[in-house]
Amino acid sequence: MKTILIAGIASLALTGTACARDLVVAQSQDLRSNIPGVNRDGTTDHVMLHIVEGLVGYTAGGQVKPLLAKSVDLSSDRRTYTFHLRQGVHFHNGKVLTADDVVWNWRRYLDPATKWTCLRDFNGKGAVHITDVKAVGSDTVTMSLEKPSGIFLALMARAECGFSGIISPDSVAADGTFKEPIGTGPFKWAEWKKGQYVRLAKFDGYVSPDNDGKPDGAVGSKRPLVDGIKFMDIPDAATVKAGLESGVLDLAEVPSDLITELKRNKKIRVIVGHSSGKNLLYMQTRDPVLSKPGVRRAIAMSLDLPQLTAAASNGTGEPNGSAIPQRSSYYDDVQKRRLPYDIAAAKKELAAAGYKSEPITIIANKRSNLPSFQMAVIAQAMMQQAGLNVKIEVLDFATQVDRRRSGKYQIISQTIAPRLDPALLYEFFVGDKNKNASLMWDDPKAIALMNAAIEEADPAKRQAIFDQFHELMLKEMPGVFLYDMSIVWASTSKLVGDPVWEGNARLWEVSLTP
Amino acid sequence: MLRFTLNRLVMAVPTLVLVSIAVFSLVRLIPGDPAALMLGDIAQPDQIAALRVDLGLDKSIVQQFVIWTGNVLRGDFGRSIVNGEPVFALVTERFLVSAQIVVLAVALAGCLAVPAGVIAAWRQNSLADLVLVGSATVLLSIPTFWLGLLLLLLFGLKLGWLPVLGYVSIRDNIAAGLIYLVLPVMTLVIHETGALIRMSRASTLEVLRLDYVTHARAKGLSEAAVLWKHVFRNAFGPTWTMIGLILGHLLGGIAVIETVFTVPGLGRLMVDSILARDYPVIQGCLLLVAVSYVVINLFVDLLYPIFDPRVVAE
Repeated sequence: MKTILIAGIASLALTGTACARDLVVAQSQDLRSNIPGVNRDGTTDHVMLHIVEGLVGYTAGGQVKPLLAKSVDLSSDRRTYTFHLRQGVHFHNGKVLTADDVVWNWRRYLDPATKWTCLRDFNGKGAVHITDVKAVGSDTVTMSLEKPSGIFLALMARAECGFSGIISPDSVAADGTFKEPIGTGPFKWAEWKKGQYVRLAKFDGYVSPDNDGKPDGAVGSKRPLVDGIKFMDIPDAATVKAGLESGVLDLAEVPSDLITELKRNKKIRVIVGHSSGKNLLYMQTRDPVLSKPGVRRAIAMSLDLPQLTAAASNGTGEPNGSAIPQRSSYYDDVQKRRLPYDIAAAKKELAAAGYKSEPITIIANKRSNLPSFQMAVIAQAMMQQAGLNVKIEVLDFATQVDRRRSGKYQIISQTIAPRLDPALLYEFFVGDKNKNASLMWDDPKAIALMNAAIEEADPAKRQAIFDQFHELMLKEMPGVFLYDMSIVWASTSKLVGDPVWEGNARLWEVSLTP
Repeated sequence: MLRFTLNRLVMAVPTLVLVSIAVFSLVRLIPGDPAALMLGDIAQPDQIAALRVDLGLDKSIVQQFVIWTGNVLRGDFGRSIVNGEPVFALVTERFLVSAQIVVLAVALAGCLAVPAGVIAAWRQNSLADLVLVGSATVLLSIPTFWLGLLLLLLFGLKLGWLPVLGYVSIRDNIAAGLIYLVLPVMTLVIHETGALIRMSRASTLEVLRLDYVTHARAKGLSEAAVLWKHVFRNAFGPTWTMIGLILGHLLGGIAVIETVFTVPGLGRLMVDSILARDYPVIQGCLLLVAVSYVVINLFVDLLYPIFDPRVVAE
């Protein structure tokens, strides 16, 4: 009788959790919307990654390669891009992708009424100005730019832009309202219970771009190997852990302090996902104390970076004093250089700069998936060793954003979301502070180098620019880059494949064994 | 009765106006810009400024309040800044999810706690009293999030009897929906039973010491008759009021339970909205909580005469 009761309860309980072979993944919050690149956040972007594809996409190394395009040609004046589309690509509604669809999408993105997050990047107000998009036959699209750009394709591929995903015009109703994303990706939109879960279904008609049999960032082999994916909204880490241990969850991001405990469980696999996101001490170079490069360099030299990184990341991170992520193809020997950990030298720099124990405040937040507070506490202790008078102010995330936006801070223990092209990362913190108070560094040389990196397309020339930029950073030290983001995930041991890319779930070429 | 109800409803109007003003201004005093949060860290200042204009946040607080109040009076609570959903539909949907847990839990807690409190008072200083009062104190002292996690680990993980996470609406599937409610309801029942046992015992003790109870016993009435007819009806009033207060408090405040058990209720919505500075949703949630307080207190007052004949709803 008891067995029957338990079996009955279990079967009823399963009714609400997953279909037969869905991969169940925890996410800390719900989607903002189901419109790629419009009303979005990180969670929304990474669900959309499975549904939509752009003309180009990032590789794991941060390079841009064709995705819906088979190849991309650039005119001799570097102003016209020609995208040759792959043959046989279908939308989730069965219709064949054509050049007209691409033109429709780009006109929609460039229409201010769409409210595309990245409109500014492509309409001339930002780095790129697209002057024309047109179809040439059924499988070729040309896009013309006002002037050459080194980051045009990198911008197209970025997550914040919804990967500039190409959707079927059937995604939008006749009255202009958005119905659902009908993309070309390996999974299709199936169901959204707001506040509970999003379910994607396997797209049987999916064809991967050219590949060597392995997944590679957003390109490479992209076969959907499970029947569906269910992204469940589970904000509490303890509940996530219980879900993993009970086998209800197949994959979830977990706090790094659970690594040791989870590794003891043979049913669970711990995955450390490295990303191009950056952890740094973001400094206000106009602050009376921090305006002196000597004080900023002393702060950098007071930090034992390997120790700080190990403690703040629970041993999952590696120190990196460069703005360029370690996995980037631009991370060379120059980028590996950083100021030495040297307390005596730091004290000398402070004395030379005329520092007289003026208080320095580090702003930190306690958002569970960010190491802001841990970094601040350890940095504070290390900086005090060099004689710096440091205190920590803990704010909620929204207030911290407000303070950075207004420029009212001395140091922020900050994390920057992944930007796979270094020039896009520079845009986060370099520029004219009079126009944008949130920026960290307004050195004219740094601004010139950033602009050069935005315009230059040749990788070798870009490398030289990035190296000059790094040398300048070591001299001026506008902020201290600490380590690249590392995000800890845990999966069932039945999961086969590599389910994490850039710190987020990437669930093609991933399967579950019985 | 009708006049009493109307009077109370009219009296609720200034309360709701004051709540609206307080909520509206306090929400805007919290640092943090919804437009900046909404657009993320790639947005430039001109984009944030444009969104602030779109959202009406560039206007003065007084102007914003007047516009919002006017819209609310027309039944338009606005749209969520975060996901664009109509606030009224969003908030009421989430409220109903929370309400089914809270009402069920408080009803069950009341059914358990009131007789337990009466028995504890009736057998004051006995072993039964000691056990009941001791248990009540322990139950009251356990934080709900910890209790919830313990129940989750026991019934979900160790025994495997109940689902560890997820939620199914009763509207979609009654049986599965009820199963998903067991753990959150059980957590609340255990916690609230403690408070209600203590209240029920205290008010029963007060009545038991009154002369008319001694008189009733002297008349030769059975203990059951004394307890039921003369003690319980007079002692239940304060507990009933307490039940109303607990109900009102919990309807807006089980965010922790909802987070632990992944229930998409009002509390979680409110916390998420505060973190995202989603002003219209925060205002909608808090206004609904205030209205529910008023309605529950009115309901409690209207039913009071049934339990205590000395009280007349006039």
